[in-house]
Amino acid sequence: MRKLKRFLNYFVLTAVSLLSVFPLYWMAVSATNKSVDVIAGRLIPGTYLLENWKGLLQAQNVGSALINSFRNSIMLTLAGLLICSIAGYGFEIYHDKGKDTVMSILLLAMMVPFVATLIPLFQMFSKIGLLNSTLGFILPTISTPFLIMLFRQSARSFPHDIIEAARIDGLSEFGIFLRIFIPTMRSTYAAAMTIVFMNAWNNYLWPKVIMLSNEKITMPMMVANLLTGYVIDYGMVMLGVLVCTVPTVVIFSLLQKSFAEGITGAVK
Amino acid sequence: MKKVLSILLVLVMAASLAACVTGKNGNSGNTVDNNSADNGGTANAPANTSEGGNTLTVWCWDPAFNIYAMQEAEKVYQKTNPDFKLNIIETPWEDVQTKITTAASSGDLSTLPDIFLMQDNAFQKNYINFPEVFTDLTDSGIDYDSFAQAKAAYSVIDGKNYGVPFDNGTGIDCLRTDILKQAGYTIDDFKDITWDRYIEIGKDVLAKTKMPLLSSQAGSPDLIMEMLQSCGQSLFKEDGSPNIVENQALTEAINVYTTMVKEGILVEVNDWDQYVGTFTNGTVAGTINGCWILASIQTAADQSGKWALTNVPSLKDISNATNYTNNGGSSWGISTNCKNVDLAVDFLSKTFAGSVEFYETILPSSGALATYLPAGKSEVYAQPSEFFGGQKVYADITEFAGKVPSNITGVYYYEARDAVGTAMTNVVSGADLESELKNAEDTVKFQMGQ
Repeated sequence: MRKLKRFLNYFVLTAVSLLSVFPLYWMAVSATNKSVDVIAGRLIPGTYLLENWKGLLQAQNVGSALINSFRNSIMLTLAGLLICSIAGYGFEIYHDKGKDTVMSILLLAMMVPFVATLIPLFQMFSKIGLLNSTLGFILPTISTPFLIMLFRQSARSFPHDIIEAARIDGLSEFGIFLRIFIPTMRSTYAAAMTIVFMNAWNNYLWPKVIMLSNEKITMPMMVANLLTGYVIDYGMVMLGVLVCTVPTVVIFSLLQKSFAEGITGAVK
Repeated sequence: MKKVLSILLVLVMAASLAACVTGKNGNSGNTVDNNSADNGGTANAPANTSEGGNTLTVWCWDPAFNIYAMQEAEKVYQKTNPDFKLNIIETPWEDVQTKITTAASSGDLSTLPDIFLMQDNAFQKNYINFPEVFTDLTDSGIDYDSFAQAKAAYSVIDGKNYGVPFDNGTGIDCLRTDILKQAGYTIDDFKDITWDRYIEIGKDVLAKTKMPLLSSQAGSPDLIMEMLQSCGQSLFKEDGSPNIVENQALTEAINVYTTMVKEGILVEVNDWDQYVGTFTNGTVAGTINGCWILASIQTAADQSGKWALTNVPSLKDISNATNYTNNGGSSWGISTNCKNVDLAVDFLSKTFAGSVEFYETILPSSGALATYLPAGKSEVYAQPSEFFGGQKVYADITEFAGKVPSNITGVYYYEARDAVGTAMTNVVSGADLESELKNAEDTVKFQMGQ
């Protein structure tokens, strides 16, 4: 009976995993096939990868899109992590009632969808001349209520005794944050980093609106450009999507363990 | 505390909703402000995309088609104006729409290019919502008489021209001659026929070859819209009100569609890729669409010589019914942010609206067909196509283009199209046609705020 139950469990789990992995598999396989074969539903790897790659390089400036995406995402991740973690730390460690209210208002801001703020943001950025720039890409999402909340929740489990001890030893407040809080909260940082990087990498609407020249396009914009023709080369599109997906997959796999720990708020 | 929080939450949601609504209504009222904001704003806008001088910035999509055509137009124009340069920014259509909406709604037009490409079905809608974006080209010297009238009409609003027609979407009926032969028919049996006759032949071909004549994306009313335009009709009346419930042509079109699905003459598939797959994989004997579908058909190199095309069937017993229609296509517009309108107009009128040589260059390598009628008479257009069994397809299509009746697209074209698509899907699944059309009209009226 127990064996049967176990078998059923594994059976369901295997089936669900296969279902989740299948689209990724199809994407990878299609990148090696001709467009006609992709449409015909060919599920085995082909020999057309190099041709697709040549076509992709010819049609789009992949190198520049990759560099732009990496530059924008890395800068947003670094700046976002620093600002949100300082905010989260501040909200929890220097806790008072006023800050609770501010935090509640911040959380309410999560309810306002980005599209609702798109036009005023565009107006502002256009006036101060930040269109077409990395800074313009970073600023609107440099601090998000969700991340502040994530850091605040983790700071809650951070032992206050350590802070007291550090203060007695003469460490400055910023020193405590920099030299004690950050190293202790590594897993939270890893989790936050995964989230910010993925969001930044996949962000489409905002860069599309503010990046006004071909040289500034990001990877998701490049993939969208591949889908505009009367005749779409699906092999090439799938290769484009694959190239666009790989960095986020790599980052997620590297930080997977810390991600799970960080989300559940563990302090070792 | 909880009460305060929930009140705050409701307030925030209400405020963002209100912001959306006022934003929408405020557009047309803001026209004057937008223009003045534009004039004042351009001086200190470093990201200004309109370059001035001898360079023009262009937004368009598809490197193999529109972008290629623009690059060739640049070369043609450079012969008489060697310093001329184009800065083409690849922008998919959805993004052109998003960017125009954002720029116009925020009152800052300085980010707009000099020239942009716009889908024909969206032209009137965009002009009516954002008139401040478009430059009036009526008296610019562009010869609109040399374009197919139905095509030029897409970018005419209140008798004024705002666009230069380009991409051709003339409706064609493409068929596999080898399959027709097996059933004892030729392409001529499909010329100038009605949908009733088409269904009759379709049944026979299906019985003899087990091949459906047509395929279509389920829920996409492309075919219905093509049938409507072949009678000069659309989903709107002249005054802009919806014309769905009492639209005889629409009722007849949905009936034809439903019959074809029931008889198995038309096979419905789930998405665009599958639709293309039906004819490239040879599971249907033909397709009816805008002439740009030629490019997709010709990807199946193994079917070379086995295709032919003719005009589309007409609706029986409907006044003004013809065998000519249109699906899709796009036109060039000049934005009000353009610093050198004279240059932009001169460029377009000497290339897209005045150079047969230009159209002769772009046709063989991109298949970019013109609605510029003089080009149809050129020798390049009269070249036989090997893929289509030696037929002079380009000359034929340009001839069809000149006979397409024009219709009204209006502001709510896409909304009405979607509503009719839903009605069509329900009717195919067995729902009552009359009540479905009533629902569709109510939906459109609701979206129009009536």
